[in-house]
Amino acid sequence: MITKRLTELIILSGFLVLAVLLYRSTASYSPMVQGSTAMYVRFLGVTLGLLCALEMLLWFRKRGQAEVEKLMIAKDPRRFWGLFFLLLLYAVAVSTLGFYPTSALFLPLGMLLLGARKPLIIGLTSAGVLLFIYLVFAKLLEVPLPEGTLF
Amino acid sequence: MILQALQALFTPVSLLAVFIGTTSGVIVGGMPGLTATMAVALLIPITFSLEPLTGLLLMGGVYCGAMYGGSIPAILLRTPGTPAAVATAIEGYPMTQQGRGGLALKVSVIASFTGGIFSTFILLLIAPVLAVFALTFGPPEYFLLAILGLAGIVSMADDENSLVKALISGLIGLVLAVVGTDPISGMLRYTMGLTDLFDGVAFMPALIGMFSIAQMLELTGSKSVVADRSQVTKIKREPLPRGISKPIWLGSLIGTVIGILPGEGATIAAFVSYNVARRRSKNPKTFGKGNPEGIAAAEAGNNGCVGGSLVPTLTLGIPGNSVAAALLGGLLIHGLIPGPELFTTYGVMTYAFILSLFVANVIFLILGLFMAPYFARISLTPPSLLIPVVCLFSLLGSYAMNNSILDIFVALLFGIAAIILQKAGFSLGALILGLILGPIAETGFAQALIIGHGSYSIFFSRPQALVLWAIILMLLAAPLYQIYRASPN
Repeated sequence: MITKRLTELIILSGFLVLAVLLYRSTASYSPMVQGSTAMYVRFLGVTLGLLCALEMLLWFRKRGQAEVEKLMIAKDPRRFWGLFFLLLLYAVAVSTLGFYPTSALFLPLGMLLLGARKPLIIGLTSAGVLLFIYLVFAKLLEVPLPEGTLF
Repeated sequence: MILQALQALFTPVSLLAVFIGTTSGVIVGGMPGLTATMAVALLIPITFSLEPLTGLLLMGGVYCGAMYGGSIPAILLRTPGTPAAVATAIEGYPMTQQGRGGLALKVSVIASFTGGIFSTFILLLIAPVLAVFALTFGPPEYFLLAILGLAGIVSMADDENSLVKALISGLIGLVLAVVGTDPISGMLRYTMGLTDLFDGVAFMPALIGMFSIAQMLELTGSKSVVADRSQVTKIKREPLPRGISKPIWLGSLIGTVIGILPGEGATIAAFVSYNVARRRSKNPKTFGKGNPEGIAAAEAGNNGCVGGSLVPTLTLGIPGNSVAAALLGGLLIHGLIPGPELFTTYGVMTYAFILSLFVANVIFLILGLFMAPYFARISLTPPSLLIPVVCLFSLLGSYAMNNSILDIFVALLFGIAAIILQKAGFSLGALILGLILGPIAETGFAQALIIGHGSYSIFFSRPQALVLWAIILMLLAAPLYQIYRASPN
């Protein structure tokens, strides 16, 4: 079981590694910035490392006292992760299919996933949003929308 | 000259230009990814065919309207329309969840109006003097200004976030801000060969991810945005909360001063105002849980920036922030060169422009007060329809800033990371603060050390720096003492 406390420890360990890598990376900075920006980055690395070490120390000291609380990321994991993967899929597909086809698939699928069941409302909302984006973003404000390689 | 300016302003065409500009600004500001800078920049070619004054009035209206407009989705959907509205989202969205979104919108519009009017008065009365003062700020003072903003992290430590975790969060923000091009040598750092990261981690997609995407993902487990739906219909009757005027005036002052400093933006003004209001509040523990004082300070702060940022723009030709820079482009296109001539030879036009900002503030005040109850009803939309639509606008907003697909992934990454970090007790507000202030802190620190030949005494050698140190210490003392008192050991 992944608990909140374990997640804290994993995150803190990750940040500690990041702090060490950050500090070490400044050796490859140009000599002209060793006394300026490299110094700043080293300061960030050292401070981050010390604070993470301190928080981990506090974590171990409180280990016996703190109550075990399961890490609950989502109240409804099916919808939460479903939407997240749909968003990831959107980001991957948009550069191939283009903005309008991807969005025309994303909106109704997202609504269905989240519990909408009336086809008319789903269709009208999706069409209305895309029309609004076309008129306001594309035509009026000439905001560039993601273009696909297929269309 | 002022009378002539008033005559030029109070013509049907000019007033229509201010009205259209302000209304468009509210709409643009209300859409994630469309910023005031973008709107003003898009208007420049349009204004070319108009009379110079009409064009300027349009741009000024957009600037004022967009600053306020950003708060509407921030309050109702936790989706900041502009980066400057992030601090507003922190307090506004919990109020919406409590069914008090309408009141939050009312507080926001009144604070925005006061901040805007105050800073315009300052612009009108003492612009040249303040512009010269702002120019005395050098790299050490800019670094200290960033530290002043970062000092707010200490007050973000509360029951959910320990002080150490809040500091770690702020440092992670500062570390993320290091990605990109070294400000001194031009060397690329931690970009992994991705050209989209050469300018650093894009700020807007990160914000959209942490606030909008994260909130929409969280909302998948709820049946409604609002806990008590009946409250939404009662908003017209709810009076303004007591003690709201103090944070409004505080925010107006801070926003104006920060706006005057070249390069300092409305986002920083909003955060600094918010943090100062939190420290001075009688109920600091209610901050982050829907305290209207936080909205008041943040909105007065970011709108106070409007007039403030125009002080160095109009008097010295140094834009106070990116929107003012776009506006400066508009001035130059019309042959108006910033400097003393703008207040003498072209005085009628300049003063008409400044006075039009008062009108723009009145327009969005009326618009905001009248529309608040209707805007608030957005929160009654079923999540099954609302979430995909807001997600689509969020992804579009992330992409639109730099036309980068990578930014869509950045938004998603920050969204999921924000949820995990928050559940583990880290502070998202502190992380954002680090991300915003990181570039200013690094550049100021590095440049100051170069000027001072590596000596740290440069940070203590000038009166401006000493005053900033004193303010930082004053701001840190009270919360650190409170944390010490609250500590069981």
